[in-house]
Amino acid sequence: MAFLQQWKRLNFFDKEVVKLPGTAEIFTSLRDIDITTCASGRGQVTLGDSDGNLFFLDRNLEISGFRAYELRVTHLYQLKQHNILVSIGQDEAGINPIIKVWNLDKQDKMRNPTCSRITRALPGSNQPCHVSALAVSETMTMMAIGFQDGSVTLIRGDVTRDRHNKFRTVFQDKTPVTGLAFRHTQRSTVLFVATETSVSSFNLSGKDPHREVLDLHGCPPRCAVLSDATQDNQFVMGREDAVYFYQPDGRGPCLAFEGKKTLLHWYRGYLVVVTKDSKMLSRNLGAAGQQLVMDTVTVYDIQNKFIAYLAPVPEVLDVFQEWGSIYVLGGDRKLYHLQEKDTQTKLEILFKKNLYSLAINLAKSQHYDYDGLIDIFTQYGDHLYGKGDHDGAISQYIRTIGHLEPSYVIRKFLDAQRIHNLTAYLQALHKQSLATEDHTTLLLNCYTKLKDNSKLDEFIMTKDKEVDFDVETAIKVCRQAGYYKHALFLAEKHGQHDWYLKVQLEDIKDYQRALTYIAKLEFFEAMDNMKKYGKTLMNEVPKDTTDLLKILCTDYKPSDIANFLQVGEEDEPLIDSNMLSGDVMPSVQKANAEEFIHIFVNNSGQLMEFLEHMVKVQPDSSHLIYNTLLELYLHDMAHEGERRNRLELHRKAMDLLQTSDALYDIDQAMVLCQMHNFKQGILFLYEKSKLYQQILHYHMENNEYDQVIDTCKRHGTQDPNLWVQTLSYFARKEENCKQYIVEVLSQIDRYNLLPPLMVIQTLAHNSSATLSVVKDYIIRRLQQENDQITEDERLVKQYREETEKMRIQMEEMKTSAKIFQVSKCSICNHNLELPSVHFLCQHSYHQHCFESYAENDLECPACAPENHKVMDIIRAQEQSKDLHEQFHRQLEKSQDGFSVVADYFGRGVFNKVTLVTDTFPASPKKLTPSQSPGILPAPMKPTMATQGAPRATQHPVQKPIQQVPRPSQAAAPTRATQPSTGYTQPTSLPSIQQPSRTQTPPQTQVSRSTPSSVQIPTNRGGTQSFQQETKQPQTAAADVYRSSPSRLTPSNPNPPKSSSPSLHHRAPTAPTQPTQEYNPFFGAGSSTTKAPAPGTAPTAQKSSAPSKTQTYNPQSNPFETGPPKADNPFGNDGSGSNPFEEDEDANNPFFN
Amino acid sequence: MSYAYLFKYIIIGDTGVGKSCLLLQFTDKRFQPVHDLTIGVEFGARMINIDGKQIKLQIWDTAGQESFRSITRSYYRGAAGALLVYDITRRDTFNHLTTWLEDARQHSSSNMVIMLIGNKSDLEARRDVKKEEGEAFAREHGLIFMETSAKTAANVEEAFINTAKEIYQKIQEGVFDINNEANGIKLGPQHSPTNPTLPSQGGGQQGGGGCC
Repeated sequence: MAFLQQWKRLNFFDKEVVKLPGTAEIFTSLRDIDITTCASGRGQVTLGDSDGNLFFLDRNLEISGFRAYELRVTHLYQLKQHNILVSIGQDEAGINPIIKVWNLDKQDKMRNPTCSRITRALPGSNQPCHVSALAVSETMTMMAIGFQDGSVTLIRGDVTRDRHNKFRTVFQDKTPVTGLAFRHTQRSTVLFVATETSVSSFNLSGKDPHREVLDLHGCPPRCAVLSDATQDNQFVMGREDAVYFYQPDGRGPCLAFEGKKTLLHWYRGYLVVVTKDSKMLSRNLGAAGQQLVMDTVTVYDIQNKFIAYLAPVPEVLDVFQEWGSIYVLGGDRKLYHLQEKDTQTKLEILFKKNLYSLAINLAKSQHYDYDGLIDIFTQYGDHLYGKGDHDGAISQYIRTIGHLEPSYVIRKFLDAQRIHNLTAYLQALHKQSLATEDHTTLLLNCYTKLKDNSKLDEFIMTKDKEVDFDVETAIKVCRQAGYYKHALFLAEKHGQHDWYLKVQLEDIKDYQRALTYIAKLEFFEAMDNMKKYGKTLMNEVPKDTTDLLKILCTDYKPSDIANFLQVGEEDEPLIDSNMLSGDVMPSVQKANAEEFIHIFVNNSGQLMEFLEHMVKVQPDSSHLIYNTLLELYLHDMAHEGERRNRLELHRKAMDLLQTSDALYDIDQAMVLCQMHNFKQGILFLYEKSKLYQQILHYHMENNEYDQVIDTCKRHGTQDPNLWVQTLSYFARKEENCKQYIVEVLSQIDRYNLLPPLMVIQTLAHNSSATLSVVKDYIIRRLQQENDQITEDERLVKQYREETEKMRIQMEEMKTSAKIFQVSKCSICNHNLELPSVHFLCQHSYHQHCFESYAENDLECPACAPENHKVMDIIRAQEQSKDLHEQFHRQLEKSQDGFSVVADYFGRGVFNKVTLVTDTFPASPKKLTPSQSPGILPAPMKPTMATQGAPRATQHPVQKPIQQVPRPSQAAAPTRATQPSTGYTQPTSLPSIQQPSRTQTPPQTQVSRSTPSSVQIPTNRGGTQSFQQETKQPQTAAADVYRSSPSRLTPSNPNPPKSSSPSLHHRAPTAPTQPTQEYNPFFGAGSSTTKAPAPGTAPTAQKSSAPSKTQTYNPQSNPFETGPPKADNPFGNDGSGSNPFEEDEDANNPFFN
Repeated sequence: MSYAYLFKYIIIGDTGVGKSCLLLQFTDKRFQPVHDLTIGVEFGARMINIDGKQIKLQIWDTAGQESFRSITRSYYRGAAGALLVYDITRRDTFNHLTTWLEDARQHSSSNMVIMLIGNKSDLEARRDVKKEEGEAFAREHGLIFMETSAKTAANVEEAFINTAKEIYQKIQEGVFDINNEANGIKLGPQHSPTNPTLPSQGGGQQGGGGCC
């Protein structure tokens, strides 16, 4: 049993006797030193001996020492964070322990550490007493000394110095103090005190240390140690029966390591315990024959619960840790070095022993890298698998997820009996989101094989679980395995609508629910799915499917519909109110109804309902809808046995056809109607598409004479040819249909649709038609033609006469003189006075009248509009003359080609004589507008008229012109001139204008320019060149003026210094130019406006109040304001000062 | 973590009944199929919540072997609750209950709440002790009874928490003297009147002490 009560023993340390560096010689330098105590830290080991010496042992095992005490050293304490050594020893005989604090960094002249403090250690009782324990706080603010008499003195204050330290006895016990330790945490400092009979902790945070008795058992000297953070800084005490751990506030665990402990040491998570072992003692005595007691050194790994090392060492004096290892100082004065094996070696040891869990723990506590850990897990898993512990193995394998290839594990467990292990592994794989599709499939297959519904539920149904698998695969597998509910859930949750519907429809066959589901979807998804599954749904739940489709094609809203369908499928009014309200939002999405038509295969009733609804709700549905609906009606009508229903369908079909906004395809509708022999529809469609001929033919085919006539009557106006056809129709009929023919003939006659000859020919085919039928008609026609011929002949004659007349007139004009006898001006209707203008068209004008009305000098204003009209016609004809294509087209189109050619002849198209249109078309000759343009005489060109003037003798022309300017003769101009000139030269008219022109231009031009030149009072006979020159400066001046009233007058108060420089540039030009060139005007202007010469302006300004300058403004003389500006640079008032400055500042009311 | 009360528990029972595993399941929520023999006394702690009060459970898991009895006995004192565990697949562990109970009653305060636990309830096939027997024993000795499985964690939480509830109720009833730490109950730091000074103040005083 005994071995069972111990931890596993592993050999994690190598023990070797310390040898001198580089040699095989055993280190024996300590042989002669009577070591009493030792401490370690900061790279060296300090030993105290019984002669008061301190020895330092460095890494190279070189020893240096000095004498610290006169008598002996009893205790040493090396601070870890400071190179401070605290020692207790005796300098004199008797009980008189002295505390010395050494600063190891500072060396005195002897190269020995300096002693910074010497204090007498006194117990609370002031009775001299041997020190039994020493502890120094790493913060260097506290030191605790335990005495043989059981008291503990706490010295607060700087450890290194004597001053200001407070001594205090915190504790008094009956038995000697055996162990002291400071425990520092962030929040508190605790002093553990162990005596031979008790353990206590003191909370030193407060002023008064609070004692807490932890246990009423003590420990022998040196058997108390403070553990490190791995064990929560517990105070560890070794007693004979066990090792006890203590928290500051109470007992912790205890480890039953038996044996009489002589020393406890803590090394990096290991507890080193030295025990006296009687058995060992005897054996070693026998073997070595030495006089030394053998101790057992045991190294416990407290955390991982095993013995890391166990070996006998002769009479252990002390154990210390330095240079990364444990050193045991044996009684034989040899140093034993316990070298910890490296982690890899340790792990190998553990693997050999199959201690995998320990290995894992160890690796973790050693912060082994993750890959190494994974390796351990894998090995462990393999080991467990090999042992047949599949559950354990899988739990190890699960820990390798992410590193170890899953297939490695899966392959091992692909066995029917290991399926639950496999499941666990796959689950873990999914949990870590490392599963592939195959894994998901496998896992689900596992579930389904195991019939583990609850797991499956958990895996799939957990609502808010993150999806760690491939949804589609999962659905597939669930479906295959028959777990439709799960598949559905997944599909619904992850929006795999397609899968959902597939499962719902194909596996579960819950059509109602599938429909509800579709209704919940977004529009496009709903539409697509409806297209896909609509047919199935239609077969199963036609009514609801139709309802859904209706909604889908009108105003689909997922939520509403869902509600609607849940509330109750039969709730018709709800839809209707939705549908018929008509306020379809523009944003509402609509599906194309025609895309769903195919769904209704074999379900024409629903289709009809659907289409009717669509047509009703959305009249603008596509023609396919209407076509289909129509077809449906017709088809049903054809197959409907019951008469009443047939009539109803008939009516519906007609209604549909007649609905004005029905968008059916007429052609197709026609085909449909014909296919189903739907007469009414056919006729309606013919009529609608204006195929009157077709209607006619239809009736003809059916030999419905009345209908034929009726059709002709109704549509004859739109298409007169109907009558012709009807005629030939009846003509071909052998039956007696005289009254029809008569009717037709009268119509043909009325619209003159056929030449009589054709009529006769047509009727000649008919054997039954008699002459009596056509007699009236023929007579009437012949009579009419006769009349026509007569009329034409009369017109021909008339035109000939007119033409002849015109020729004579032209000839007259060319050859004989024309007398202007008009006494009144054709414009003003007053008596004609000289100067006057006469035209050959017998219109005469006052010259001034003529000038003000005539568009140009060569044309009679009265005749001009008519002339223009005629000229335009001519020109138009000229242009169209070249349009051969048009001509040919017309020729082809026309029934009567001859008349077209004749017409073109009439227009002079083929006339070689052309009009010259580029000269000015002034025609003095009056033309009658009624005359045909084609026969306008060419010689009437205006050029000829003007050219005629030079040809005429000049003398008579000159005379009247010379008379024109004379005002005295103006009283009777016509009479004076006419007798002399008028008779002889009718063409003098253009030449009259000629001289007058030389006179008038100056006047008109001047008068025209007047408004633009600013207020020049009179034209003093200045030449044009003069005026044009002056215009430029004057507008410049006007610019200045325009800006000045606003700027200068009100802003006069402005300091001129700022404004005057800018004015300087303009001001000289404005006033100086007028003085040079416009002086004449100035004279006139200054008389009224008092605009003074530049020199006088300042005085005027000075004397006159500012109000006076204001009065100038309305008169808008550009120079008013000019002078004041101008005089500024002259400064001729003698004072030299700027007049503006003084006066304006003083007087201007605007300024102040 | 601050707490309102600290309850000390002790887990006792024959060796191999699953005491350490119960503790491990309760504190670490894991199960170790192969557990080393407990040498001496192990220690675990966990916070629970009863009636909105944070309660820290300090649990000593004792070695069940006879040879450690002397060590473990010292831990009875100062425990407010005890979990007396037997193995439902091993009747001898059930038979030893009387000894354990006597031991516990003798060494602990009289008010200690003892819960009888039949562990390894997952091994139903190998059951050796009927649940009714456990219930009867508990009734007879005034214990609370529960069957648990440290492996599947069934009832493990409940076992610890119900014990804590019982203790808490006794505190409310005034049965326990909460100021006597021998009862295994401690008030939390913020409730304790005996620890008025704060650590920060203590640090300041230390510095001051050095100056004087």
